[in-house]
Amino acid sequence: MSAGALGLAGDDACNRRSCLAWLATAWAIFQGLLVEALPFLLIGVAIASLARWLAPGGRWMQKLPRHPVLGPLTGAALGFALPACECGNVPVARRLLAGGAPLGTALGFLFAAPVLNPIVLASTWVAFPNQAWLLAARPGGALLLSLLLASVLRLLPETALLDPALLEERRLNQPLAEVGLLERRTGLVGPATPKALPDKTPRPPLQEVLQHGSREFLDLAVLLVLGCAIAATVQTLLPRSWLLAVGGAPTLSVLSLMLLAVVVSVCSSVDAFLALGFAAQITPGALFAFLVLGPVVDLKLLGLLRVLLRPKAIALTSAAAAVAVLVLGQWINLLLL
Amino acid sequence: MTALCLALWGIVLLGSSLSGRLDLLLRGVFHPLVGFSGVVLLVLAGAQLKGAWGQGLRPGAPRGWWLGAAVALLVLAIPPNPSFSDLATNRPTELGQEEALNFLLPPAQRSLTDWVRLLRSQPDPSLYEGDPVRISGFVWPQKGDQPQLARLLVRCCLADATPVGLPVRWPPGQVPKADRWLAVRGTMAVEEHDGQKRSVVVAERIAAIPRPRRPLEP
Repeated sequence: MSAGALGLAGDDACNRRSCLAWLATAWAIFQGLLVEALPFLLIGVAIASLARWLAPGGRWMQKLPRHPVLGPLTGAALGFALPACECGNVPVARRLLAGGAPLGTALGFLFAAPVLNPIVLASTWVAFPNQAWLLAARPGGALLLSLLLASVLRLLPETALLDPALLEERRLNQPLAEVGLLERRTGLVGPATPKALPDKTPRPPLQEVLQHGSREFLDLAVLLVLGCAIAATVQTLLPRSWLLAVGGAPTLSVLSLMLLAVVVSVCSSVDAFLALGFAAQITPGALFAFLVLGPVVDLKLLGLLRVLLRPKAIALTSAAAAVAVLVLGQWINLLLL
Repeated sequence: MTALCLALWGIVLLGSSLSGRLDLLLRGVFHPLVGFSGVVLLVLAGAQLKGAWGQGLRPGAPRGWWLGAAVALLVLAIPPNPSFSDLATNRPTELGQEEALNFLLPPAQRSLTDWVRLLRSQPDPSLYEGDPVRISGFVWPQKGDQPQLARLLVRCCLADATPVGLPVRWPPGQVPKADRWLAVRGTMAVEEHDGQKRSVVVAERIAAIPRPRRPLEP
């Protein structure tokens, strides 16, 4: 075989990594992530649309538990009925809050449902079939985090917590026994009027549900594209030695993976597959932190959360979530390292 | 616009599935899901188009959808062509616990991945000295050492690719370039490396080969 056919290397050429090769590799990783994630996104949107069609929201929201622990737990359990990634959960949480659902229940759903739903649990299982501790720790951590965040945010009055437009809508659907007359700018005065609102929301036409689902898919696909682009760039350009150095340090690895989760902003339905790329290099606590913090706080979500919460409440959510995940990640490292 | 964007993403998924592009991106178990999702998106696009036909033109689409459509077109236009050696260099080399060997093939029938798994489960180099070797893989440069012949293992997609490589003693003056796909025939030998004995493939016949249709291994 001739030297030319083998492409024999010169001394310099063998070690030189061209920019074009980097771009080509990043582009291939981007396509891999995107093509793999889109079907999961489609499944999530399809199930959410089906749930919207079969059980359209209504008065049932106001009957959800108000107990400070039972409420968030119920909200978290709703994730099994309305499975979607964190982007899909925001409009559902807004609907719950606007419909007069108890605050703790709606917040429990918002923060826990992105992890506690069949799609995310299945994808975590597919990605890490041999790590039983993670299959228990991820939903457990998400549940704990949602309880903590719901408890912290309930300390704020609703006027300091909720977006003004949402608050106004919510006031209209809360009974007068709960809301003072001066807190409403519009609405009916007097006793509750059961006949004023229909007892049961009519089932929307299938065509409308399909249209809504299609729009939701396309909106989320764009966010997925951005997330995959950032993830592919980071994966291609991040020096291996940097990750390995960080991976060995328990606290630093948790902090760095928390930062990565916030920056990468990948949907919870596919983040387990992304974490596979780092899993062997980082501590178990860091892996946990990546999979639990990302669905609650990330750059992509911050814009979406503005339709629910005031900026101060978003800052409080981010800070509380970061501290809690850091402590839990450290605890897991203590147990497993 | 909704129908057009859905159709574009559907073509991306179904086209990737039919063209064999997925072999370079994803593990085989996900291929049917990707193809099916493409069909669903195309059907959905058809339904949207049918619905929109009777309603006339609708207001413009969100700006983000245009970005999505542009990316979908780019994905269709520019196929993936990763540098396997770059990917391998940025990845850890640890294999999972599930990689334990169930049975052994005769030496000449072992693939590169079989050899790596065998050497990791029974790392005594003297056990394999003189065994015939017939392997193929891409050239993976090593710092301070000769390039190895390597393969990428995936559990899901390229993002989690893990390299496995075998040291090769190349014929004098014939050190190959990174990323070249080669078929190597030779014998297994023992050599000292960093004060430790290790198995090395002594290359006797080297042939350049095209990248395999399914370059990723499970």
